[in-house]
Amino acid sequence: MSVRTAPHPVRSPFARIAAALLIAVGLASGSVAAQPTAGPGAQIELESTVFDVGRQLRCPTCVSESVAGSNSAIATEMRSEIRELLQEGRTEREILALYRERYGDWILLEPPREGIHLWVWALPAIALAAGVGGLALLMVRWTRASRAAEREEPLDPDARRRVREALEESA
Amino acid sequence: MTRIVLIIAVTGALGGLFLYGLLRGEPDRDIRSARLDRPAPTFELPLYARYQAEFGPTFSSAEALGERPMVVNFWASWCGPCYEEAPELQEAWRRHGDEVQFVGVQTQDRGKRTEGRAFIDQFDLGFPNVIDDDSRLGIEYGLFGVPETFFVRSDGTVMYKHAGPVSLDDLETRIAELTAP
Repeated sequence: MSVRTAPHPVRSPFARIAAALLIAVGLASGSVAAQPTAGPGAQIELESTVFDVGRQLRCPTCVSESVAGSNSAIATEMRSEIRELLQEGRTEREILALYRERYGDWILLEPPREGIHLWVWALPAIALAAGVGGLALLMVRWTRASRAAEREEPLDPDARRRVREALEESA
Repeated sequence: MTRIVLIIAVTGALGGLFLYGLLRGEPDRDIRSARLDRPAPTFELPLYARYQAEFGPTFSSAEALGERPMVVNFWASWCGPCYEEAPELQEAWRRHGDEVQFVGVQTQDRGKRTEGRAFIDQFDLGFPNVIDDDSRLGIEYGLFGVPETFFVRSDGTVMYKHAGPVSLDDLETRIAELTAP
């Protein structure tokens, strides 16, 4: 059974473990067991994709939790719907677009890389570049000031004599 | 001296922004619904028994729309503010039920039929109440929580969403907008 058509991203071990847990919960509740044609491999694949999509969506009734990580009733139903949509052959991108249509950009845990949201991605880089640039400018200024100070304030002849004497003694 | 003033100004501005972020109330409640000015999802869901004599076993929003605007109120039996707003909705229905279709949707409340029936009976809700047992309609409407109330124009597009308990004044204002020629 083909459950997805989009290119498959590389998944972390954490995603695999979470998928295995989801399958265990699904088997216990009978929801995954209701797919007699799907083998264990396909089920792992499916649950892993459900987790991947859920991880990108914000749980609407929770605080700072994703749909994948929440146990709230609505997050559970959303995971269930995502599972069904994947089984119908919808891609991750299509499912995310569907939720965006219902909830707007708010539902995405990562702001989309387009429009006004580009600022969210660009600002840290701009701030870093400005910080490095500013620091470099300051260092150049400090170095120049230090050199200028050296040039402007020749060593006191008395101090120069004492240094020379000390060097001669140590030699 | 200028530098000190500049540092104080920048620090003050950043601190002010931080405080504004902390104290600006319930930002989720103010989020504009993505459904506004777009077609409301249509639905056909099972009704509680007391409404079946009038509407049949299910309520179809598609049949109701087209003739008159609709007020769709999402509630749950465990939700305190839903009890707060129910009498207001009942009163608004009593006043405007002939020009606006009211419908209550029990959502995020799987399997709680007895509690749902008790909620309806407690306020003797005259408008039809349907059961969204799997919360799918709530998700389709882009619900953040309960209660939420959607005001749908007779052409089927969403005019306004009210998050939180709705008062009679709010209902009167929005219904006036909905029914304005």
